[in-house]
Amino acid sequence: MFKPLQLLPSRSLRPVLVALVASLFVAGCGIHPIYTPTGQVLSGYGESHATPYVLEMDDIGMACSLGESLDPLLYSFKRVKANPETTGSLLQVLAGICAEREAVEEELRYLRAEHKNDLSGMRDARNAMQRKYGATANRRLKAFNRGMTAFRFDPASQVEELDCPCYRNDQDELTFMMALLSGAQAVLDDAKAGGRAGVSRSLAPQVERAAACLDSEKWGGLPGNIRAVIWVLLPDTRPDDDLDPWAVMKANREVAMAAGMRTAMALELVMAENVGRTETVAEVLAFLAESEERFVVRPEYQLVDLVGMEVALFVSDRIWTDRYGYRTPSNRFGRISDEQEQDESINTEGLL
Amino acid sequence: MRLRSLTAAALVGLASFSQSHASEAIDTCVFDIIGSSGDQYQMMQDYALNMREHGVRLDLIPYTDESVALAEFSSGSCDILVATDLRTRRFNRFTGTLSAVGAIPSYDELKTVMKVLASEGAAKHMVNGDYEVLGIFPLGAGYLFVTDRSIDTAADLAGKRIATLDYQKDAIHMVNYVNGSVEPSDITNFGGKFNNRSVDAAYAPAFAYEALELYRGVSDDGGIVRYPLAQLTAQVIARKGVVDSETAQKAREVAYSMFDDTMELIRRYEEGIPESSWVDIPDKDIDDYQEMFRQNRIQLRDGEDSDGNSVSQVYDGDMLTLLRRVRCRENPDASECTASDRE
Repeated sequence: MFKPLQLLPSRSLRPVLVALVASLFVAGCGIHPIYTPTGQVLSGYGESHATPYVLEMDDIGMACSLGESLDPLLYSFKRVKANPETTGSLLQVLAGICAEREAVEEELRYLRAEHKNDLSGMRDARNAMQRKYGATANRRLKAFNRGMTAFRFDPASQVEELDCPCYRNDQDELTFMMALLSGAQAVLDDAKAGGRAGVSRSLAPQVERAAACLDSEKWGGLPGNIRAVIWVLLPDTRPDDDLDPWAVMKANREVAMAAGMRTAMALELVMAENVGRTETVAEVLAFLAESEERFVVRPEYQLVDLVGMEVALFVSDRIWTDRYGYRTPSNRFGRISDEQEQDESINTEGLL
Repeated sequence: MRLRSLTAAALVGLASFSQSHASEAIDTCVFDIIGSSGDQYQMMQDYALNMREHGVRLDLIPYTDESVALAEFSSGSCDILVATDLRTRRFNRFTGTLSAVGAIPSYDELKTVMKVLASEGAAKHMVNGDYEVLGIFPLGAGYLFVTDRSIDTAADLAGKRIATLDYQKDAIHMVNYVNGSVEPSDITNFGGKFNNRSVDAAYAPAFAYEALELYRGVSDDGGIVRYPLAQLTAQVIARKGVVDSETAQKAREVAYSMFDDTMELIRRYEEGIPESSWVDIPDKDIDDYQEMFRQNRIQLRDGEDSDGNSVSQVYDGDMLTLLRRVRCRENPDASECTASDRE
């Protein structure tokens, strides 16, 4: 006689199994016996191997494409509770780079049209630029939010007392820092997007407070500069009224060099450009060009350094295009003028 | 009112006519050993772009064979030629003497010379007969590549086979001077000869180390003698009247304004050569070589060797004087600066 119940576990185990299966469904949040562990494996692999590999890369375009293409796959595992917030934050950071590249191209097109006094070209490029900056701000806002979720850090509630996240390792610190940087960038990008992304301006003071959870010197002055740029935007957030954010950022130039990561200077440049401090822009660009030979990159975070340098080049390109209608010519990085340097040192009198 | 608008229309028409006439493209034969993807051609594209600002349009045509580029220019197929000064010497001996042996020992001195040549004061030297020099670009110093790094003195070159460009009379004279054996070659085959070691030595700018794979010939036992034998340049030669004299002067200034960028590329090539491949020679030997080169230059200027035999008259005395003044400004204590037979 056929005994179907014999295929089931013993009577003593049966209630446990039933409870387990029931709990999966009762949870109703999509935990899946196959997808969930797959997502956890992918997420774990992303954190342990893919992220360190990508951070060492020297190809920004490939890294940003990876962010764009992999994010929808990896982050979709959130639906089955695989908790991909940490890697998901970094993927959005990468995807933000792609969007920013496109936005800058439109911005340069706008400046070229302006140079040619091409009104319709200017309008078109400006609209396109705002759309692209809107997309950039969106991605960076996601990077910020996911980063905060990953570290169970609620930036809005940290007003009175700062309860910093627990980092397991340097990569955790870096991930948290990149999320904060994305938050600060999202605010700036959204401003360029004409507010299309709807990034709350309250993000800025939140980022400023949270950045105190990082050792600025260890990270090449980047946490310090994240705070300093917000002090420029919102002087009331300064811990001390006498604190000069520009002096802080200037001091951080050598800190960045020593740490093998020049990204902090990119932030100083962007902010100087934002507020029209042309001398500071010229000074930082010249510093970056002059210090190139003595700079030694920290190999494990090469991508972070290179992205910073690309942003510096964007700043330079905007200045050149604004002035001359074309981006920084080769071998001119570090200068903001196409005027020939006078070779006063070369005296040619009486030679001919 | 109507008359005025008609006049205006006529003026606009005339203006657009003269504009199109002024911007007519000038066919320019450009020699680059690897064609339009080579550095020299790329440099010319930048030059052509810069010249557009002065109302000159250059239509660049690449040639990988310098003799063909020269022939096309001579036959009138193009009105501007861009080639090495070894080939353009015939159009202007003054600027063609820039690559005189051992005459410009450093890039700082080269820059001074270039600045002088781009000045308005030098304009009269830029015109010769039916031709005018519109610009000069550095191509880097020529170095001696040897298959055996123990060849590090001029005396060691005696009896050695040296790949020598067959149209470069000064180089042939120099090889004979050191009792080397001239192995007639051209730009396209000297690299192969050096690499398969059918010659013991060759001279070339650092660019050739990778482009012509001279590292294969250098290998473990060969080397590159760290002393600039000559400063090679690319020169832009125009048929006279193709551009007016004011534009020609602007063109030379444009070329000089590109000096630093061009040098950066050259330095990159030199830095790309592994340190272990360079062969350094002692300072005291350098003094002797400088005197040897000087004697050679004087002979090639006067067309007579020390025994009174006739040799090719290759170098221009005015340029040699200019180069000597530049060297002596850099190194005033050198014996040549007070020598009775100074250049």
